Amino acid sequence: MKDRNNYKLDIVPGVALAAFSLFAMSQIPSIRVFKGLGSTPLNNHFVPWLWSGALLFLSLWLIIRGILKYRRFGAGEGGSLWAALADKREVIASFIALGLYVAFMGSLGFVISTTAYVFVQILILTPAERWGRNVLPAAVTAVVAGCLLFYIFRSTLNVLLPVGLFGFGL
Amino acid sequence: MILEGLMAVCQPLTVLWIAVGVAVGIIFGAIPGLTATMAIVMFLPVTYSMAASQGIAMLMALYIGGISGGLISAILLNIPGTPSSVATCFDGKPMANKGQAGKALGTGVVFSFVGTLIGIAILVVLAPALCAFALKFQAYEYCALALFSLSMVVALTGSDMPKGLISAVLGALLATVGLAPIDSRPRFTFGLYQLNNGFALVVLLIGLFAISEVMSFAESVRKKQDFSIEQNVKMKGAGFSLAEFIAQIPNAIVSALIGVGIGILPGIGGGVSCMISYTVSKNTSRRRELYGTGIMDGVVASETANNATIGGAVIPLLSLGIPGDAATAMLLGGLMIHNVAPGPLIYEKSGAVVYSIFFAMLLAAVFMLLFMLWGMRFFVSVLKVPKNYLLPIVMVLCGIGAIGNANQVFDTYAMVGFGLMAYLMIKSKIPTVPMILGFILGPTFEENLRRVSQLASSDPFWNHPIFCVLIAATVLVVIFSARANLRDARREEELNK
Repeated sequence: MKDRNNYKLDIVPGVALAAFSLFAMSQIPSIRVFKGLGSTPLNNHFVPWLWSGALLFLSLWLIIRGILKYRRFGAGEGGSLWAALADKREVIASFIALGLYVAFMGSLGFVISTTAYVFVQILILTPAERWGRNVLPAAVTAVVAGCLLFYIFRSTLNVLLPVGLFGFGL
Repeated sequence: MILEGLMAVCQPLTVLWIAVGVAVGIIFGAIPGLTATMAIVMFLPVTYSMAASQGIAMLMALYIGGISGGLISAILLNIPGTPSSVATCFDGKPMANKGQAGKALGTGVVFSFVGTLIGIAILVVLAPALCAFALKFQAYEYCALALFSLSMVVALTGSDMPKGLISAVLGALLATVGLAPIDSRPRFTFGLYQLNNGFALVVLLIGLFAISEVMSFAESVRKKQDFSIEQNVKMKGAGFSLAEFIAQIPNAIVSALIGVGIGILPGIGGGVSCMISYTVSKNTSRRRELYGTGIMDGVVASETANNATIGGAVIPLLSLGIPGDAATAMLLGGLMIHNVAPGPLIYEKSGAVVYSIFFAMLLAAVFMLLFMLWGMRFFVSVLKVPKNYLLPIVMVLCGIGAIGNANQVFDTYAMVGFGLMAYLMIKSKIPTVPMILGFILGPTFEENLRRVSQLASSDPFWNHPIFCVLIAATVLVVIFSARANLRDARREEELNK
């Protein structure tokens, strides 16, 4: 049954990549071409056209292959989209946590954002029934990791980690 | 330069960093899901403030430790710690089940050491020769070399060629972001100055390999996993006799040569080399029926090959700037950060660093042997480290690595974006390794193609025999690989029916 549903693994990425390649193609004309001394017969549009064209061709290949699979095997059994998303809730939560972490790192600073992120991420990666006994160790790990990594990298190794609004670590 | 390189490695602090690198690498290799690439990603920011030879020596130590550590979980858990140890499971775990865990581990460790040494020896001989040969390369040859290396993607992608090609093309397209080669006009920057230099290789690699690994662990949070760790690990010496060692030498040499050969080919890593050498060893052995039941021949073949791949993968990295696998792609990022430009002129421009790399690899191999023979109990206990605590810290370190690359927080946004892209690609069964090849070789191809377009009228291609040979080789690789891929696809389809 899994193989019969494989058409989705062709059509969905095929459509997404075709859209991406069309977007890239639409941006190429806005690239300024250099026409001065030393300009090359193949200008700076050529290779972007080449790669985005190749990507479009391969995406269409995937879409057509997926359609042929669908015609051959039919739709097969598929769960609902919501069920699939619910099944991946830890992954979605991890991406949201990571996205918020990097988005707020500049304003909140490395120490606060890292402490919050590590704490949340540990809980996300821990089965819900074991949260109770993991809250305190997770909090301690998060605080220690945030402060220690900031000290090591900012003060010792001179990596310019953001200090943020509150100026923690300065 | 040789003496300078030796002196750089003999500094007490460098020796210490190499030892730390090997130990951390082994831990990362041993824990399933953490790889040598992740270890290098994690420690890249640590090397920012180090001298080039010191920093790169540490990254090399992480690489060697990371590849070697995979055998521990392969033998004790039947789960390869790294893809390079897949074939070690086949005979390693049955040996452990028979009460020979110590012997299996000892065999793996000693022959990992042997494989690393053979790899380094071939690296030391071949890299300068390849550099000397590559000095003849001009725009035509580099353009053809980039095409040839990209054509390896077709050979790599197995039965699903379009998806492998998509990955490589996507990588090449991403590499066009930033200032164009030759005329330095911005492309796809959308007015963001942070994109003027394009996406950093390190940032792409972190997204592709580190974030996707965390997400694959997140997927398994609710799944009950039953790991039974073999606790009864007793190691006396190496765990096997001298006669057994001597009997395995031909097997080890053949496996090492396979490992080095596969390591040299762009994009193919230890995962493939251990499988091929295991298969070759099995098919050429007089007692092939015993393979898979727990004999040391299988462990020898797998572990010698995957460690020999290290030396092989470093050859094109240093000589041509083309990485052999994901970990060496990360090392390429490390070399760039330390202002060491890989290529035919590396011996002239950074000769001392190159020799320090060789000595560091040698020292790392010795540390790996000693640590794994004497510290096995510790590394076994590391398998119990909870990954739900470890991975968030790894993620933070990856973020620091991304920030430290150009001291800008913007790179962390790109890192998350690449992580999401890698996750979706993996879910769509699109391989991520060809993307690295496309990303690295795309700019080389473009720059030299445009130079060739300038030269073509005055210096036609038939004046360049190396170009012609490489183009012919590219065509042959594409034809034969495409045929093999189609055959595999048909076979798979028939099996599905």
